[in-house]
Amino acid sequence: MKVSFPYMGTTVVYKKLLELLGHDVIMPPKPSQRTINLGVKYSPEFACFPLKVIMGSYFEAIEKGAEVIITSGGHGPCRAGFYEQVHQRILKEEGLPAKFMVFNSMFRDFNNFYDNIITLKGKNSWLKVSRSLLLVYNMTKKLDKLEKQVQTIRAYEVKKGETTRAWEKIQDLFDRAYTKKELEGAYAEGKKLLDDIKLIEVPEEKKLRIGIVGEIYVVMESSINMKMEELLGNLGAEVERSQYLSQWITYNAIPSFINKTHETEILEKGGRYLPIQIGGHAKQTIGHIVDYSERGFDGVVHLMPFGCLPELVSQSIVPKITEELGIPVLTLAIDEQMGTANNTTRIEAFIDLIKGKRAKKIS
Amino acid sequence: MKEYYLGIDVGSVSTNLVVIDEACEVHYSAYIRTNGQPLDSVKKGIREMKNSLPSDIKIKGVGSTGSGRQLIGVMVGADVIKNEITAHATATAHVVPDVRTIFEIGGQDSKIIIIENQMVVDFAMNTVCAAGTGSFLDHQSERLGIPIEEFGAMALTANRDVRIAGRCTVFAESDMIAKQQFGFSKAEIIKGLCEALVRNYINNLGRGKRLEPPFVFQGGVAANIGIKTAFEKEINHEVIIPKHHNIMGAIGSAILAKEYIEESGAKTNFRGFEAADLDFEPSTFECGGCSNNCEIIKVEMDKRVVAMWGDRCGKWTNL
Repeated sequence: MKVSFPYMGTTVVYKKLLELLGHDVIMPPKPSQRTINLGVKYSPEFACFPLKVIMGSYFEAIEKGAEVIITSGGHGPCRAGFYEQVHQRILKEEGLPAKFMVFNSMFRDFNNFYDNIITLKGKNSWLKVSRSLLLVYNMTKKLDKLEKQVQTIRAYEVKKGETTRAWEKIQDLFDRAYTKKELEGAYAEGKKLLDDIKLIEVPEEKKLRIGIVGEIYVVMESSINMKMEELLGNLGAEVERSQYLSQWITYNAIPSFINKTHETEILEKGGRYLPIQIGGHAKQTIGHIVDYSERGFDGVVHLMPFGCLPELVSQSIVPKITEELGIPVLTLAIDEQMGTANNTTRIEAFIDLIKGKRAKKIS
Repeated sequence: MKEYYLGIDVGSVSTNLVVIDEACEVHYSAYIRTNGQPLDSVKKGIREMKNSLPSDIKIKGVGSTGSGRQLIGVMVGADVIKNEITAHATATAHVVPDVRTIFEIGGQDSKIIIIENQMVVDFAMNTVCAAGTGSFLDHQSERLGIPIEEFGAMALTANRDVRIAGRCTVFAESDMIAKQQFGFSKAEIIKGLCEALVRNYINNLGRGKRLEPPFVFQGGVAANIGIKTAFEKEINHEVIIPKHHNIMGAIGSAILAKEYIEESGAKTNFRGFEAADLDFEPSTFECGGCSNNCEIIKVEMDKRVVAMWGDRCGKWTNL
C-alpha cells in the first residue's frame, strides 16, 4: 500500500522502516510556503500551527498518491490528541478519503496497536519485522549522534553553511543504507564529513550553549521554526534540542515501571514546578529548562505554537524558574508569519544578553 | 581635528542620525521620516549632516540599528550592525547609569528592557498588537481631529476619568465612540486613551516581570506628556524622559561603534559622506528554486553585487 506520514525532523527514519517492510512510501515534501498555504486554507482558523502545517503535508502527500497516512495519536488535555480526527474529517469533506493508521501508546490500547502492527507487518515474518525495527532504531541513534555533532560544530565553522550542507548529505547517505553494513558505512562516511569541517578555535570559557525546548513539532521541524538551530549556530552558539527521535522512541517503547530513560528524569525535574501532566509537552519543557540550567547551559529558547495552551502554562512558569535558577529564557510564538526580522532581533538581543551577563556589561 | 562616531537608526517610521564625540556627547542629530524609503531617507540624512558639520570632521566608526540595519549597514559601511534592543539599552545605561527599567514605545513596536547593574537581564518586544504602539495614538488623533503634537497636553486638561478598553484597538475604538456618546469631553477621552495604551503595554510586555525604578521612558511616543503621566499613575512612580528620547537607538549604535573601534583598534569601514551619492540599488527577485519561492533581496553597488539575503536555504546568502 502507498503510505505517507507527517513531515517532522529526520524523516529518513520513518521512510526506511516502512520501506523495509515492503511498503510503497510516498515522501511528503518538506514543508514549504505552499504546504503552509494549503494547511491554513483547509484548517480551522483557531487550530494551532502544527495542525495546519501537517494538514498541508497530507494534502501534498495525497496529491503524490498516498493512500494510507500513518501518524501518532495523542493523549491528555492537549488538542494534538484530536489531530487525526480533525484531519480525517477535513480530508473527507474535500473528497480525499485517505485511510488513517493511528499509533497510540501500546500501553493504553494494546489491541489497536497490535492491529496496526499486523497491517504494517503484512506478509513479512516476525524475524524480518524485528530486524527492521532494530536497524531503524540503530539508524535513529546514529543519526541523532551525528546531529548532535552538527549542532555543536556549526557555531565554529570557518565557512558559513558548510556544516548544514554536510548534514543534508549525511541524511542522504543514510537514506541509501538498507543493511547493517551499509548503515555502518554511512555513519563512518558521515562522521568523516563532519570531522573534516574546518573550525575556528574558541576557548572553552567563551563558548555559548543554548537549549531549545517546547512543543515537539515546532522544535523538531526546522522548516517552520525559522531554522532556529542554524540561526543560533550562525550567531556562534552551540545548541541542543529537548527532543530527539531516538529518545522519544526509547521512552515510548518501555513500560513506565521500568522506564529509566532521560525523559523520566526530565519529567521529575519538571515536577518541581508543575506537579501534574497538563498535556502537550509543558512538563517536559519545564523539566528541560531545569535540566539545561543544572548542566550549565547559558540560555534556553522556548518555542511554542501561537495559542498553544500547555506551552502558555509553561511560559507563565518561566519567570519563576529564571528567578530561582538564573537561566535566561526567551519564549517565541511560532505561526504562519514568515517575516523573520522581529524574531531575529529578539534572538540577537538574547545572545547579547547572555554574552553581557558574562562580560558584566551590555554588549 | 576632533574624532566622532556616527549612529544610524532606521526604523519603520523615522530614520535617525547621530554624531557623538569621544565622551559620547551628542554633536549632531537628525530625525527624518522614513516614509517607506529607508535608503533615500538615509542618503538625505547624510547629505544634510555633511552640510551642517565642519568639513574637517573625522568619522572613526559607524553603527547601524533598527529594522533596516542590514541594508543601511551595507550601504554606509557600518562597523557594528546591532539589534535595537541592545542599542537602546546601551544608550540608556550611558545617560541614566542606574536605570532598572526601560519603556520604549515607537511607531510600529514597543519594548520593555529590564536592566541590572548595567546589564540587560530580560526584555520583551511587542509587534503582534498595535494597541500598545504609537500608531494607535496616531490613528486616534486623526479620528478626533487633534494633531498628535497637542494630544498629550490636552489629556492633562481633563477633569474626569474615563476607562477605555485597551486590550485591542478595535475594542478601544468602539468603546471610545460609546464614551463620546455618554458626553465625555475630547480631553477626557484622550486621557482615557493614553491610560488604555499604558495598561495594554504593561499587561502585554510587563507580564511576569518585576518592574523596579528608576524608570526611563523613550522612543517617539515619550514626547507625549499624556502617556508619561499615565505611566506615572499606573506604576505609581516618577518616570524619567531622557533629553534625546527619540534618538536613543541611534545614540546607542554610535556608542557601540565607538566601543568596538576602541577595543579592536580597527579602522572604520565607513564609505564616507560620499555614500550618499553612491549608485546603490537594492532589488528583489523570486528564487523559484523550490516551492518556498523566497523573495531574495539583492544589493548592487556600481553594478556589482555586494550583498544578498532573504533566502531560507542559504543558496544566495552564502554565495
